[in-house]
Amino acid sequence: MTEKTEEKSLLREVWDALSFSEIRMAMRVALKHMFVKPVTFQYPREKRTIPDAHRGALGLLRYDDGTERCVGCDLCEAACPSRCIKVVSAENPDVPLSRYATEFYIDITKCVFCGYCVEACPVNALAMTKMYEYSTADKRQLIFDKQRLYEIGEKHIEDAKRYLYAHNQEKNDTESLQYRYKFPHQVAGLTPPQDS
Amino acid sequence: MALKPVTSPDIEAPTIRLTIDGQQVEAKQGVSLYDVISQTGKIIPAMCYHYTFDPFGSCGMCLVMVEGKKAPVRSCTAKAEAGMQVRCEGEDLFLARKKAVEKHLTIHPLDCPVCDADGHCELQDMAFQHGVTNLVNAKPKGLPEDRRSLVLDFNMNRCILCGECINICKDVQMVDALQFFKKEGTTHVVAKGDKGLVCEFCGDCLAVCPVGAITNKYSKYVYKPWQLKKTTSTCAYCADGCQMSIETSGKDVQRVTSPLSWKNKWGDRAETAEGHGGLCVRGRFGFQYIDSKERLGMPLVRTDEGFAPRSWFEAMDTVVGRLKAIKAQHGPNAIAGLITARCTNEELYLFQKLMRAAIGTNQVDSSARYGHLNFTRALQHAAGVGRMMNGYEEITKANVLLLIGTDITETNPVASLRVKEAIRVYGAQAIVATSRLTNIAKLASHPLPITAGSERWFIQALVKAAVEEDLVDEAATTAAPEAFGALKAAVAGLSWEVLTARTGTSREAVVEAVRLYAEAPKAVILCAEGVTRQVDGYAGVLNLVDLAWVTGKLTRPGCGVNALPEEANEQGAVDMGVASELLPGQALYADEDARAKFATAWRCSLPSPDPGATLMEILKRCREGRIKALYLVGENPLATLPASTGVREALEKVELLLCQDPFLTETGQLAHVVLPATTFAEKDGTFTNLEGKVNRVRPALEPYEDARPDWEIFAALGTVLGHPMEYEAAQDVQREIMKLLPGYYNLGEPRPVTARPEGYLRDDYVREVAARYAAGAEADQAARPFALTIGQVLYHSGKLSTRAPGLLQLYPSKGRLQMNPEDLAQLQLGPQDAVRVTSAQGAVELRTEPNHDLARGTCFFPEHFNEPPIKDLAECVVDPTTSVPAFKFIRVAIEKL
Amino acid sequence: MPQPLEDQRTTVYKVDPEHPANPTLPTLRTEEMMLNMGPQHPSTHGVLKVVLALEGERIVKATPVMGFLHRGVEKLAEDGTYHQFIPHTDRLDYVCAMYNNFAYCRAVEKLLDLKVPPRAEYLRTIVAEVQRIIGHLFWLGTQALDIGAMTVFFYTFRDREILLDFFDELCGARLTTSWYRIGGVERDFTPDLVEKLRRFCDYFPPKLEEYVTFLNTNRIWLSRTKGVAVISAEDAVNFGLSGPTLRGSGVDYDLRKFEPYAAYGDCEWSVPVGKNGDTYDRYWVRVEEMRQSRNMVKQLLGKIPDGPVMADVPSVTLPPKDKVFNDLASMIQQFKLFSQGFQAPKGEIYCGTEAAKGELGFYIVSDGGGKPYRLKIRAPSFIHMGAFDFMARGYMIADIVTIFGTYDIVMGECDR
Repeated sequence: MTEKTEEKSLLREVWDALSFSEIRMAMRVALKHMFVKPVTFQYPREKRTIPDAHRGALGLLRYDDGTERCVGCDLCEAACPSRCIKVVSAENPDVPLSRYATEFYIDITKCVFCGYCVEACPVNALAMTKMYEYSTADKRQLIFDKQRLYEIGEKHIEDAKRYLYAHNQEKNDTESLQYRYKFPHQVAGLTPPQDS
Repeated sequence: MALKPVTSPDIEAPTIRLTIDGQQVEAKQGVSLYDVISQTGKIIPAMCYHYTFDPFGSCGMCLVMVEGKKAPVRSCTAKAEAGMQVRCEGEDLFLARKKAVEKHLTIHPLDCPVCDADGHCELQDMAFQHGVTNLVNAKPKGLPEDRRSLVLDFNMNRCILCGECINICKDVQMVDALQFFKKEGTTHVVAKGDKGLVCEFCGDCLAVCPVGAITNKYSKYVYKPWQLKKTTSTCAYCADGCQMSIETSGKDVQRVTSPLSWKNKWGDRAETAEGHGGLCVRGRFGFQYIDSKERLGMPLVRTDEGFAPRSWFEAMDTVVGRLKAIKAQHGPNAIAGLITARCTNEELYLFQKLMRAAIGTNQVDSSARYGHLNFTRALQHAAGVGRMMNGYEEITKANVLLLIGTDITETNPVASLRVKEAIRVYGAQAIVATSRLTNIAKLASHPLPITAGSERWFIQALVKAAVEEDLVDEAATTAAPEAFGALKAAVAGLSWEVLTARTGTSREAVVEAVRLYAEAPKAVILCAEGVTRQVDGYAGVLNLVDLAWVTGKLTRPGCGVNALPEEANEQGAVDMGVASELLPGQALYADEDARAKFATAWRCSLPSPDPGATLMEILKRCREGRIKALYLVGENPLATLPASTGVREALEKVELLLCQDPFLTETGQLAHVVLPATTFAEKDGTFTNLEGKVNRVRPALEPYEDARPDWEIFAALGTVLGHPMEYEAAQDVQREIMKLLPGYYNLGEPRPVTARPEGYLRDDYVREVAARYAAGAEADQAARPFALTIGQVLYHSGKLSTRAPGLLQLYPSKGRLQMNPEDLAQLQLGPQDAVRVTSAQGAVELRTEPNHDLARGTCFFPEHFNEPPIKDLAECVVDPTTSVPAFKFIRVAIEKL
Repeated sequence: MPQPLEDQRTTVYKVDPEHPANPTLPTLRTEEMMLNMGPQHPSTHGVLKVVLALEGERIVKATPVMGFLHRGVEKLAEDGTYHQFIPHTDRLDYVCAMYNNFAYCRAVEKLLDLKVPPRAEYLRTIVAEVQRIIGHLFWLGTQALDIGAMTVFFYTFRDREILLDFFDELCGARLTTSWYRIGGVERDFTPDLVEKLRRFCDYFPPKLEEYVTFLNTNRIWLSRTKGVAVISAEDAVNFGLSGPTLRGSGVDYDLRKFEPYAAYGDCEWSVPVGKNGDTYDRYWVRVEEMRQSRNMVKQLLGKIPDGPVMADVPSVTLPPKDKVFNDLASMIQQFKLFSQGFQAPKGEIYCGTEAAKGELGFYIVSDGGGKPYRLKIRAPSFIHMGAFDFMARGYMIADIVTIFGTYDIVMGECDR
């Protein structure tokens, strides 16, 4: 042990006690802090800036031309450590050889926000957003279905993209074209979904 | 098949020694090197290899270094030779294998996300195992999908041309429906002739496909393996007892898979003698009825406004109230019960216990009465054996197979593979006597066309030929000289003219067949509906026993007489004593001691014997008003029996018609109360297959809505009716059966049976034999020249399969009469013309379709559909001994409309 | 037959033997009192329940009752791939999630014999030390709060917030971080993050001195920590204590020093050791560790090597995302790793890591498959609970609050 509080002399102790030195010291700190800017937020009115990497609510994304990115491969379901994702997939009647998610559920009450589903997604259809205010009195609303997830994705598309960039899932816009899953379209001779 | 002698397990080859990774190994000369290596427990990757067929050598993965050779060799196509020094591991081999995988990967599309095989894909495994990370110059093929076939889609982008599908189809199924086909520079796997598939749709190609090149339309793109819960169970369609994995997610059945798969590719060829682990079209693609929306979810009680859903409590209250009132007023014999043989052993046992102990009546019967009881009772009577005498292995290894009156590839497709393997691998001679050119007849060495409905005459001709040509076995006949004398006398009374005229064969053909049969060391007789469901089926089986006996095949190991049951647990129904003349364990109900044993075990007094109270008698008693309440479990007599039996009147007459079924059937429509039962996929229990093997049935799903397993309903009814049946699980029932019938479950292995005909030959034989060789009068055929058979087709089993949309897609209810094209031409019928089919019972109008396999003068209609109600043309002949109703064979006249 | 009524009086009066002549003067019987403390007591730091046997105000026996937060984490590990268990480790010591990630990843890497790239090792060390500061700040604030010095709590939490925001920017979450990966880390530092840490390193020392001053000049703090919950070095070792709890008793044992892992060997630092083994010395050790950690962070920030932050072992680590879209081999790798996980070699390993609370160890048994066959967590909080009774005996009931705090216990890791 290298540090020790100094032993005070008796005189000093008497003087400190008589002059309320401890109280004076405390008051000094208190007074000083009257002129310091508070570090707290007045939450509902003020909000903190959320970093791009923030792992908030999940959303499903579309390509810029409106086609759904998700191909219903269910890998997110396999990757999820808390088993909160359920994907029901089917054959896509419009594009041969392709598959899509007919239903997509994320039980957000079970979600641990680890972001593994985003990491797993081979088409970058999932992304996390900065959305965190979805508390509700009705627990059923916390099972996000496909429609809700696409709504989140649409509303927070910029945040979602920035999330993907921040976590090295996608590079910035110009390079993102090679981050596209082209397979069934290539075969069918169709143009793959484009970003503007 | 260059390597054929290698893989034929019965051919002797000299034993040689070779060294594998420094380890001395013994092997048969000429065996595939791959097999030798895998025997030592080493696993070398191989994507085109499967133990059920001969090595093909297309994937280039199974490379090993053989000393003296510069480059690695493919071990699957290389033969083991004496003194070989083989090395299976090493960096160079790893890299060579990695290169082989890369070759496959460069032309593979990037479609793991959509592919159904993802997660269950050998190419993925290999790529991952060999650490392939970067592919240069990848060039996917970019081919459209081949969707011309029913059930299966072929995606040649994913195909690695391993040929497993082609090989299994050709070698194991002997259907040969697939081929390689070069199109626009790429090799494809297509159905023969580059058309849509024409095959048995067994789906074994799907099971062995190591990638996702073959996909199943019924579950395409709806699952990934990690989403599925796998439950191993036993198929409930036919009695082959195939093991299957029901794969479910939540409340839905997504697919059914077989033990046969590319994952189980290592094995000994000799193992397939007991089954290759595959399924047939019904098992693999007929699962959709399980989670059908047509299922009954709640008990229904008839009110003035029709059926009303009720809670179990109310429905059971109604049922028990009525049953109690009827019993009190009219006695226990005013109640009768029929159960389907698709129920588990435990349920069948519990049902007869419920009827006998709780209600106190012996009027109980099962659907084994439609035919299988003819066989079991005849064999029990003559040889003391109550089931098929030979298992799969004995069928596979027989030298001669005599198939009479069975279309085995349609009724028991997986059992038919044993016959096919016997023919192909073991070189067995197969004599197939049928009236139509069945698939098995096409493969057989001795197809023997006989006139429709003449199976019994044909058997008699065989016996007569055996006796007359002195093909009899000395030991067997000298042991019972009186019996043999009686038989000789009986067959002497038959004239060859009558027999050949009736069967449509020649004496020479019959003699050749019986000579083959008699001289073979291992000869197996297989018969089915053509014998057991015909008029005098009981006598027909005894005729077959005579044939086996005089040729010495009844008691010799590897030989025997067998009849294939139709429904999944017909054998179990007989074993569990669900027949008025039987008790569990096939003890005779009339036997005082046996009855006393069960009375003690059940702590009740059993009703007095009433052996005549069989299916037809129960219906008669219903009509007469003696039976007031009829309890039908899964049975649908209205859709099965012809109208001439008065089944409708019988069902309408009873005061309480109680139906218990997963679906609302035609009979259910007439019921007063319908109880929702579960399908096999929601039950726990066992099925006894045709070999006598007790297979486990496991619940893959929670019961559909409010449906309950049958045993639970029986136990509840029994308890409320005053005979406590406190079982908590099906296993409790099983334990009770184990106590009463020790050894029945036998750890899932069939107990070997030995025929003991001595007693019968000594006591009853002389008295009985003459009757079954009496040439009865032949009906006048001129007025009704056509023989109409109502029979089973491959794609269906009873009425249950018609609830599976997938099977209906493969074989819909067409309402068409199948006829020989020449007959059609003679009647001047075009494809759209309608005909009137007239029998003694009435007439039905319908359209026709040509079927080249049918003999002239015969026509066919599938028994699964009653649209139009062609079954009502039949008259029902009840067997005098076993009361089995025969109504599947009708003589009709056909005229153009 | 009517039963005689039982004597229902709660206090039994008896004759005082010293005053036999005065039977009217009753004497109270002395007996031990059982007192349940927790699991919902604000000072028990989570859901710890302690059954106290008291003689007056003296603690005769203190039995910790655990399991209120048991979630079967070890069993959960057997159900998922090795990778999938990382988010579950966040929820062990939820105050220092990074450390749990670190300890688990190190254990799996040891099982796989996997080498982590140097840059990742540096980042791992820096973040671990930042996490240590967070953990100790949290402890300091709450311990002071429990004892009655509220001010410190606000100040330490303010500084902790700065670092939590740093985590948020780094990995997207403040507490449940899941930033470490088997074979490296999820995401590299951005220049902005490095700058933020540098600023913190300059900002932090004067603040820390300020808090220390508050406490060291606080008579209540001194009298309530000095000489409370004393444990000798020998007893501490025998009870298996580790971390600051052990070092407070004067045992110079720190895994970072003894088997230097990650980048701990590449920087100058010392292991602070106490003398008296009381709560005050443990407080002092923690404060000194914060200073050391800050020094380490500052040193390491200056010499982070370049390079990747994830090992490139295709059978274990994920492929870069851009390749997943274009290269079949990488796509297969992605699918196999996420749906089935990597195949760990057969065997069993133990790997301990010096976390903020003590030695956090993971013991993994692998059967050669994609999931752990068995996973055991050696959680320091749980081991420390073994010494609770020993350290609490003889102190006053008011000291129990100090004793709770002195271990820096977190029930998430204790109950698992």
